[in-house]
Amino acid sequence: MKILVADDSRVMRQIVIRTLRQAGYDDHDIVEAEDGADALAKVTSEKPDLVLSDWNMPNMTGIECLQAMRASGSAVPFGFVTSEGSPEMREKAANAGALFLIAKPFTADTFNEHLDGVIA
Amino acid sequence: MNDVDTGERRRSGETRPVITELIDEATVQSIAEDAWTALVGEDEILLPIPGELTGDIVSSWVDVVGPWTGTVVLTTGRETAAGLTRALLGDHAPDELEDEDIADAFGEIANVVGGNVKAALPGPSALSLPDVGDAPAVRNPADVCRLDVLWRGEPLSISVQGALPALPGAPQN
Repeated sequence: MKILVADDSRVMRQIVIRTLRQAGYDDHDIVEAEDGADALAKVTSEKPDLVLSDWNMPNMTGIECLQAMRASGSAVPFGFVTSEGSPEMREKAANAGALFLIAKPFTADTFNEHLDGVIA
Repeated sequence: MNDVDTGERRRSGETRPVITELIDEATVQSIAEDAWTALVGEDEILLPIPGELTGDIVSSWVDVVGPWTGTVVLTTGRETAAGLTRALLGDHAPDELEDEDIADAFGEIANVVGGNVKAALPGPSALSLPDVGDAPAVRNPADVCRLDVLWRGEPLSISVQGALPALPGAPQN
């Protein structure tokens, strides 16, 4: 399985990848994207099986990326990993087609709760 | 922004909440502790003890724009910010940290703390991308919730501060 991790913070991408390993998802290919536009391009070029994306990013936000993906017919499973965990943001995410929203800060247990049904 | 007191706002009865009506230090401390435990390390604690911030200091912050508009600012010594960066990077920390690494890591902590402060405030609000540098000035001393802590014995402050000047006639404490 290939997982695309999109976050404009390199440090946060590393933390997300480290947490994926700690949560037991350590035998998957990881691709990184540094903003929403990069993620959108890599959804086409890398064909990931899952996208884990930050919300607030320069160039293109996570939700703009998700909306563009769905508008272009891509049904790749998409989840947010963001500091924006309010009910309002969760509703926006769900309405745009996100499977889940993991709020920062997170733990390996949080990843398991949301990803066990998604990552085979 | 027009700071001239024309009396118009008083006549129209405009009010806006100050941060101390919306969030308290205990909530900010709880948010910060959760961020430290998850990002910095499971055993990392923040002691609610004020320390003097002197010398070479650096701030990171995010803006919240909504019913309450202001900034969540973290300030600490540059060496302490470097220590936080090493803790976040873990095994991936390079021998020599670049300024860019510190801006990225310290900014991301502000993003996580600020995002959770935003979630505790009335919405809808927008959150900015993080910025790093000299702390934004306090515009209204009555619109500040400040927490001073020690991390590994080093002082760090978290200031949730309004970005707008005081309304005419508002108390200044």
